[in-house]
Amino acid sequence: MDVTVLQSLLLTGLLRGGLYALMAVGLALVFGVMNICHFAHGEYYVLGAYAAFFGFVTLGLNPIPAILLAAFLSFLAGVITDKLLFHPLRKRSKGEWVMNAFLLTAGLSVVLQNVYRAVFGMRYRGITQYWDASVEIMGMSIAADRIMAFVIALSAIFGLWVFLQRTRTGRAIRAVSQDERGSMLVGINLDHIHTLTFGLGSMLAGLGGASLLSLSPAYPYGGNKPLIASWFVVTIAGLGNTQGAIVAGFIVGLFESFSYFYLGQGWQEVASLCLLILLLLFKPTGLFGTNIKSVWEK
Amino acid sequence: MLEVNHLQAGYGNLNVLWDVSLNVRQGEFVALIGSNGAGKTTTLRAISGVISPAAGEVRFMNQMITGMAPHRISQQGLSYITEELNLFEGMTVQDNLLLGAYTRRNGRQVRASLEQVFDLFPILKERSAQMAGTLSGGERRMLAIGRGLMSEPDLLMVDEPSLGLAPKMVMNVFQALRALHERGVTLLLVEQNVHNTLQIADKAYVMEQGTVALQGSSAGLLDNEYLKETYLGKR
Repeated sequence: MDVTVLQSLLLTGLLRGGLYALMAVGLALVFGVMNICHFAHGEYYVLGAYAAFFGFVTLGLNPIPAILLAAFLSFLAGVITDKLLFHPLRKRSKGEWVMNAFLLTAGLSVVLQNVYRAVFGMRYRGITQYWDASVEIMGMSIAADRIMAFVIALSAIFGLWVFLQRTRTGRAIRAVSQDERGSMLVGINLDHIHTLTFGLGSMLAGLGGASLLSLSPAYPYGGNKPLIASWFVVTIAGLGNTQGAIVAGFIVGLFESFSYFYLGQGWQEVASLCLLILLLLFKPTGLFGTNIKSVWEK
Repeated sequence: MLEVNHLQAGYGNLNVLWDVSLNVRQGEFVALIGSNGAGKTTTLRAISGVISPAAGEVRFMNQMITGMAPHRISQQGLSYITEELNLFEGMTVQDNLLLGAYTRRNGRQVRASLEQVFDLFPILKERSAQMAGTLSGGERRMLAIGRGLMSEPDLLMVDEPSLGLAPKMVMNVFQALRALHERGVTLLLVEQNVHNTLQIADKAYVMEQGTVALQGSSAGLLDNEYLKETYLGKR
């Protein structure tokens, strides 16, 4: 095989994978800590894209402040969503939480898509580029936007990792994902941790939408594709496994870029789904999932 | 320090505790004994806020804590080590212990507590980088007790620390509890292991069918004819 083809496939796969990882980590975090099968994750991606668009175009902000504004607004939206919807539901549900929460996210997705449609209309709001530049890597010229999106995704994931591993609050988030009663008994306020987690998950999605604005414009239904992609990654990794989601993000990115090249456009999704079906047949817990039971029984 | 008056509690429509009153004073080692299903664990759950009492009151350090959320009660200085331990299995021993000190902000004091716990249970120091889920049964109990101590609690409630342990480990755990008591920690211990418990506790309450059937000093209870016949198998 031609070396330059291999290089370019690897490169596009990695660039794609970084953003899959970013979206999937948010989803895995929300599932692992809150036990929510989140089907409105894509709507926070779209929110981030809209926020970045208005920040960049309407307010004329520089790219980085516009993206940071989008991250902040998605975080805020996540916090409000938890306070307004999931918190009251949690107080009322007991055994049926997983199903109730799932239905709530499915409904939320429909509502948010239609709110976007009513407020922003059906037109695509995109930009041609944040940075008017391109970077030469391994003999290929790649738009600076793609590189920056990748760098932003990796920095956000790394930042989250440091936060979870090294800070007191991060440790508490991990504790809640492991044992809720144990967490309460050491004095952790579960409500605060849940709200923060949902905010963080939404922020990661919003960051994804914002940094990819030049590649996929803001659009009311623009969240469906990233939602499916991130569920795909999370299922491959094993539900609720944040570290697995990072690796699986890259696996899926590379797999898609290779199947796109060898099977042709449109077939990469077929190939991915076949991969998923095979995986679920032979290892239903996902590549890195071992303790699904403990999460469900928590 | 801890005063429980006419407590009633249960699960859903099932009432387990009918009328429980007990009293723990500063520095005391109090045991709650009784057979399976007598309501010992439910009593601890109701005190710690894991379930909310249906009636009665719980006072801790002269403050009403009846029906407060568990994390608030824990912040008041009451530490509860459950029968299931509720460890964070996928986290390291050290992270588990540091989480025990979640409510304390002073890093230096937390370090000092960590050293004290390692001093009390040297095995935890050896295992500090290991995942809690990989520990043996006895080590897990020690980690749970250690985590409970990390908040520098005024009162430590321990539920069945001997459950499922080999006899040698049971003695280790009991010795650790006695050592804690000698260091001035106030303890409320729930046990089915009546004989051993009465050897180390100052006083005990005997629970039967959701109420306190008998109470007194450990020495007095060891001589009690009824207790001897029912729990100690002596005539």
